[in-house]
Amino acid sequence: MLTYLARRLAFAVATVLAASVVSFLLVHASGSSPGEITAGAGATPAQVAAQNQRLGWNQPLVTQYLTWLGHALRGNLGTSLIDGHDIWSDLMSRLPVTASIAVFATLLSGIFGAAIGVTAAVRGGAFDRVITAGSGLALSLPQFWIGILLVYLIAIKGHLLPATGYVTFSASPGQYLQSLALPVITLTITGTAIIARTTRTGMVTALRQEHIRTLQALGTPPWRIRYVHALRFAGGPVVSVLGIQFIALFGGSVVIEQLFALPGLGQAASNAIGNSDFPAVQGVVVIATVVVVITNLVLDLVLAALDPKVRTA
Amino acid sequence: MTSPLLSAAAEPAAQPGAQPAAGRRPRVRLTAGGVVSAAWLVLLLLASLTAPLWEPYPVDDQDPAHTLAGPSASHWLGTDELGRDVLTRIAAGSWISVGPALLAVVVAFGIGIPLALVAAEHGRWVERGSSRFAELLLALPSMVILLAFVGAVGVHPWAIMTVLGVLLSAPVYRIFLGQAQSVRTLLYVDAARVNGVSSLRVNLRHVLPAMATTIAVQAAQLFAIGVLIEAGLAFMGFGPSVPSPSWGGLIADASQNVYTDPWLMVPTGVVLALTVIAANVVADGVGTGRTRERASGPRGRKRRPVRPAPASAAAAGAAADVSQAPTGDVLLDVSDLTVTADEGPDLVTGVSFALRPGKVLGLVGESGCGKTMTARALPGLLPDGVAVTGGSVWFAGRDLASLPEQELRALRGREIALISQEPMVALDPVFSIGYQLTQPIRRFRGDGRNRVGRAEARRIAAELLGRVGITDPRRVLRSYPHQLSGGMAQRVCIALALTGSPRLLIADEPTTALDVTVQAEILSLLRSLVETRGLSVLIVSHDLGVVADLCDDVAVMYAGQVVESGTVAEVLGQPVHPYTAALLAANPHVAEGLPVPGRLPSIPGTVPAPADWPSGCRFAGRCPLATEACALPVPVTPAHGHGTVPSGTVLSGTVLSGPVLSGPVLSGPVLSGTVRCVHPLSSRQEPRPPVDLPVPRPLQPGVTS
Repeated sequence: MLTYLARRLAFAVATVLAASVVSFLLVHASGSSPGEITAGAGATPAQVAAQNQRLGWNQPLVTQYLTWLGHALRGNLGTSLIDGHDIWSDLMSRLPVTASIAVFATLLSGIFGAAIGVTAAVRGGAFDRVITAGSGLALSLPQFWIGILLVYLIAIKGHLLPATGYVTFSASPGQYLQSLALPVITLTITGTAIIARTTRTGMVTALRQEHIRTLQALGTPPWRIRYVHALRFAGGPVVSVLGIQFIALFGGSVVIEQLFALPGLGQAASNAIGNSDFPAVQGVVVIATVVVVITNLVLDLVLAALDPKVRTA
Repeated sequence: MTSPLLSAAAEPAAQPGAQPAAGRRPRVRLTAGGVVSAAWLVLLLLASLTAPLWEPYPVDDQDPAHTLAGPSASHWLGTDELGRDVLTRIAAGSWISVGPALLAVVVAFGIGIPLALVAAEHGRWVERGSSRFAELLLALPSMVILLAFVGAVGVHPWAIMTVLGVLLSAPVYRIFLGQAQSVRTLLYVDAARVNGVSSLRVNLRHVLPAMATTIAVQAAQLFAIGVLIEAGLAFMGFGPSVPSPSWGGLIADASQNVYTDPWLMVPTGVVLALTVIAANVVADGVGTGRTRERASGPRGRKRRPVRPAPASAAAAGAAADVSQAPTGDVLLDVSDLTVTADEGPDLVTGVSFALRPGKVLGLVGESGCGKTMTARALPGLLPDGVAVTGGSVWFAGRDLASLPEQELRALRGREIALISQEPMVALDPVFSIGYQLTQPIRRFRGDGRNRVGRAEARRIAAELLGRVGITDPRRVLRSYPHQLSGGMAQRVCIALALTGSPRLLIADEPTTALDVTVQAEILSLLRSLVETRGLSVLIVSHDLGVVADLCDDVAVMYAGQVVESGTVAEVLGQPVHPYTAALLAANPHVAEGLPVPGRLPSIPGTVPAPADWPSGCRFAGRCPLATEACALPVPVTPAHGHGTVPSGTVLSGTVLSGPVLSGPVLSGPVLSGTVRCVHPLSSRQEPRPPVDLPVPRPLQPGVTS
């Protein structure tokens, strides 16, 4: 178990390093330089060169990377080329926004998806067909399209929730929840569809298992068979998919954050890219990778804990 | 928005079993949906590529007089904020919206599949290296990497989708590595390799075609992912440059005007969704194995009105009057039981037998004779799509065949318990033995509304385990099923069946999956339970040795019917049905030294499928004694005291000689000389000339199963 953990940790560190190298190389392959950004549009080549010199852009690539890495390890991701703010503290202040959406959407998807998936598998018939078709449709529409539709229906027509913006929890818990509601609902629709499908497939398989018949032969109440035994049997893939979803929401909520004007990591990513803010791009890639890697680690441990064959080994 | 879809794509990878059996050549199945979807995709591409030829308006033709107009005769799908025709723009934008996604698929497959084939062929080290690399790619946040690429290189849809293809090659590799590895182990692929066919040829001729179905399915899913990601990027402004429309860009434009003209959202969204759905439907339609798994529906028995038993099966002289509860010393009385598959044939027809309290009844016959269906029908545990459609099952004063599911459930475990054939899969793999035993104990052993306490339940569980011959109950209680041997698991299953102190135990081939020494132990455990606890047992078996060893009574089943029943001594000693005689003669347990002049080496042929059962004697097709008269329906008559037999099948001639039972092992009644089977309804009373039975030869064990 310890060697397993050590291997996973080593792999996690390697992944983050790989991501940082990739982003570093991408930045350097872009053909433009940070000096051009900081010096502004009308700058002379001499001014640009001076800025590049100041930013260390002319040093050998390896030196630059190692310098960056040394700083990054101490929590210093550099400063923005655009407004000079500290990238680490900026990203850390954005983290709660993205984390809130990701956690809420994952939890709700898990609860609704599992409930719907189990019901579809157990009830069968028309309900099953409606769920299968509905989840297929939900997965075929882009999330941002669903989001705009919800904005139109709930915010514009219904005046029930704010369309955009973000209020911190400390400022007003009620408004915090309201500001998250639409993005979370949007992400939950897709998430629920995926979880419901996974759960349904798993439950159909689980309910055919021989041990389920043993339980039936013992007169076990149906709710216990479904929700304790079959769901537990089907749980592995569902937990995996939930984990993948969480990762996706963290790394990929870019579009949704832009749509709902949420100051999260995704927005930071698209701003940094739109502005060619190189250190910020690198910072976002690394932070997103760290989140992905940690989630994967936790997911592996949860899956191991769920499987008695691994647990008792 | 990347990875929810990625996860959907990765789903088949998690369940390789769900994929069609590798090696079967894929067959393209044309479904209506598939045809429509394929037509849609083709139409879309044609429309896009030929757009300049037919478009009612030039793409950028602005009509300031008609901005944001809804659908009309001149603009079928309306106009946008600059008065441009929406239909034109969607059609013109389809190539740039769909093409790069196709490129992503090609790149992902171009990298992923060759890598998987090479890794599958070159074994450990190559596989390890490439798998690590794939894992690394999978662990990267793909959307952020894509954006970083956009930031560095600029907005070039084709280049961006190439990068996406590289990222997607990791899940592709994972899925196809598993497939390629399993295909390579198939016999014909192995044979080709042994025959010196070059590795490239093996891959091209055998491995790739076997994976074609999966390739089609994955291609459609990845294509859908690509289209949605492309749209997302375009929506954020990282799409093709402004004047040329792409679907994501069109939706972004529409979202700017959603306050004033929500309609603009609809056409592009619908076209996008239709395209993604069409790709998935086409993929679904390709290939053989992707039949949707049906949800199971309500578990337990699906009730269907019990219909009157078919007249032919319940002819004169049936054992008991169906409508009446049996009297006398009988615990379980099954009468005229008929089990039918949904929209299918009867699987069990007019089966009758009785079980006396404290006795053991064996249900024997070859596989496919309906033994298990009969056994499972009793406590109402038939598989989905199979139901009892006739007859009665009287047990302790109730007809189980007409009892509602809820009352049946109350009986299960408490009055009737079931032991299954495969102990290793009969226990829940994710719960400890202790949990699985104490759950029913707490339910069953409480008084009235009070459940048994945890500690007390655990004590009872340990005691039960001791009683089924487990020497270290504490350790077993802490174990999980995968830590037990087959024999141990079957003991645990028996302990589980005893938790409710049932009166009737139904054991469905309880020793078939176990090895020989363990079989004997389990049988002796069952015997001691019958002796010490007065349990009545219905045991399903194809092994006459087990029956002779354990049972008091026996019912021989053939093709969904009981062909002969009675006490073990009578039925096995003087079989009157040719099938019983044939089973006995083919029994490998007949001791070798005995004089066995007319032993049947095996029964020729196989049990006919339920749909092919003849209306006359069902054994006629395989019976050495069959005559034309055997095609007539055969009524059932009493025989062997309690038992019955179809009255036509009376063996005459020099029938059975030799010792019937010697110890636990059956040592053979044997057919000797010549025998005849006389049909009572035969118009020609003239029996067919005597038949010489085949010359004996050494027996293969297991020929009867």
